[in-house]
Amino acid sequence: MKEIVEQRESINRLMARYGVKFGIYKNNEFHEQLFPFDPLPRIIKPEEFSYLERGLTQRVDALNAFLADIYSDKKIVKDGVIPEDFIFSSKGYLPQCEGVKPPKNIYSHISGIDLVQGKDGEWYILEDNLRIPSGASYPMIARELTHQASPRTFMSNHVVDNRNYADMLREVMDAVNTGGINVVLTPGRYNAAFFEHSYLAERTGAILAMPQDLYVEGNRLYYRQYQGKQQLVGTVYRRLSDEYLDPLSFLPESLIGVPGIMDVYRSGNVALVNAPGNGVADDKGIYYFVPHMIKYYLGEDAILKNAPTYLAFYEQDRKFILKHLERLVVKDVSEVGGYGVVFGSDMTKEQLADWRRLLTEQPRRFIAQEVIDFIDLDIVEGDSRVPRKADLRAFVLSSGTTRVWPSGLTRFSRNPDSFVVNSSQGGGFKDTWVLSR
Amino acid sequence: MRQLRFRYEMRLDMDQDVWDHHFLIRCRPMETSRQAIRSFAFGIDPADVVCEVADGFGNHGYAGSVCAPHRSLAVWSTGTVCAFPRGEEGALQAMYRFPSPFTQPGENIRQFLEAACEEYSGAIASREGLEYLMNRLYGRFVYAPGTTTVRTTAAEALAGGQGVCQDYAHVFISLCRLAGVPARYAAGMMLGEGATHAWAEVWLDGLWHGYDPTNNRLVDDTYIKLTHGRDFADGTIDRGQFLGFAAQNQQILVRVEE
Repeated sequence: MKEIVEQRESINRLMARYGVKFGIYKNNEFHEQLFPFDPLPRIIKPEEFSYLERGLTQRVDALNAFLADIYSDKKIVKDGVIPEDFIFSSKGYLPQCEGVKPPKNIYSHISGIDLVQGKDGEWYILEDNLRIPSGASYPMIARELTHQASPRTFMSNHVVDNRNYADMLREVMDAVNTGGINVVLTPGRYNAAFFEHSYLAERTGAILAMPQDLYVEGNRLYYRQYQGKQQLVGTVYRRLSDEYLDPLSFLPESLIGVPGIMDVYRSGNVALVNAPGNGVADDKGIYYFVPHMIKYYLGEDAILKNAPTYLAFYEQDRKFILKHLERLVVKDVSEVGGYGVVFGSDMTKEQLADWRRLLTEQPRRFIAQEVIDFIDLDIVEGDSRVPRKADLRAFVLSSGTTRVWPSGLTRFSRNPDSFVVNSSQGGGFKDTWVLSR
Repeated sequence: MRQLRFRYEMRLDMDQDVWDHHFLIRCRPMETSRQAIRSFAFGIDPADVVCEVADGFGNHGYAGSVCAPHRSLAVWSTGTVCAFPRGEEGALQAMYRFPSPFTQPGENIRQFLEAACEEYSGAIASREGLEYLMNRLYGRFVYAPGTTTVRTTAAEALAGGQGVCQDYAHVFISLCRLAGVPARYAAGMMLGEGATHAWAEVWLDGLWHGYDPTNNRLVDDTYIKLTHGRDFADGTIDRGQFLGFAAQNQQILVRVEE
């Protein structure tokens, strides 16, 4: 361990050289910055991991069942478990996906579930990311480099090897493949996660494709090779958001999409990983209903808890929110990546009044949650160790069976007073060690 | 019941070569309980490969591409349809209850509906109530081509007080949904010669009924529906994307005869 801490500078230097970067847009300008790595890992004991594994598998299975239901029979709505509003006025609901049956009926192949551990030791789900959750590549490469820096650390600690993520991902791509090659579709190098796209393509043996490398002909998708050769594509692990995916189905002005890809997908001639339309299952409004989904589809009680959440949509909850706003955190349901999150404790009197009005006027738009006092993890700063808030993004992969990657991305906030750990807000990351005994 | 013969033509001319042209064209009448296709033919020139595709709204389309450099694209369809003057059978999809990108109700749309409800003695959410609403919109909205674009929303159109059939339909759909009546956007053709047309369909008493606010009349057996969706964007008759720096000119000609 000491060795890794001592070598943290050189590990970070190596990461910079490999291009482990994170892009952020600020004031419409693109800035690429390093994603700082802290050498002290988060450590998860075997029995704790098996508990998380059961809870996460259950949650993702229910979310996949929900997505399959919403884009077909909508039984959960007809049975009154979830109000129609939370489905059909959600930005993430895409009617273009109605009636599509994706290969193996899997919608969320790669789910990034964000959790925090409260000071009481209890784990809470913060949010589900079922569209294009990023971040798995960071602990992968961190493990690679720390292994090189200190093989002894891994000999004396029983850490489950996390470098199998690429194999797990390839299994997912192969399992849903409709016949053809696997490609990772990246919007290009100005994307926040371009490093990850190229790294995962390389590690899984998939082809890294830019949108212009793919084209549709005769209701099939092809990859255009040099010298005009074409290869049939069976799985697209696309790192391009839904609205840009196909200018003939979604935003007509998208220049980074593949025209006609939705038709090919609808016809069952290509697998899209993850399926378009998943946003209906991971917005902050639907989050409230996930425990209900688990009960409804699986007949089980949720193993992992949600943070206590109030929906402004329900009158009783709204009254509660208005009364206790000072201690709650309010989230805009349609925003992601740490945007649209405000803490009541940070608000001035005027702001509190403004927020109370906004919550009353647009109740469907907001949820409020109790602020969870989650544990700090130590990070190395200079010669000392200082505590910082940290969360965990667990990666759950579905290919017919559902598996939790025995690792995860632990993110921490750089700022000692901040609870927001999203990398798009400028935090750092740690490796996550799952112990084998 | 009427037997309608129709011809739809779309021609796209570019002033320079374009290539990698992908398109999705929906010019085959829908097969519904209100209209039956008796005969149909479709043509396109040039085109490498054309496939028949479906979408999430129940629309049919021809998807295809032209990769080689070209300066024009011509599409036509023709056929005969039996149209009936009655509501369309089917199911209600919940998506038609809620505002869509083009039909978000602005404050002006709320006020318009409130004023209409105040003046109308019966319930607005009825066949007659919606006729009153349509008539009211017709009286307060001016048909003026060129004043709006394909990106104009219902609230923007109503604020400007003028527009084309797309805008009439969007405003009317937004009003209906706000009044609690599910509504959808229909695009197609009507008896006569001219361009394509758009109107609204509302779900009342277990059927889809057509309302044409541009002409202030109920949809009867002189209309042929090509597509439907939540709003214009879902049921666009022609969509395409090509590479090249050309200026384009699109001409559409529709003829429907008895």
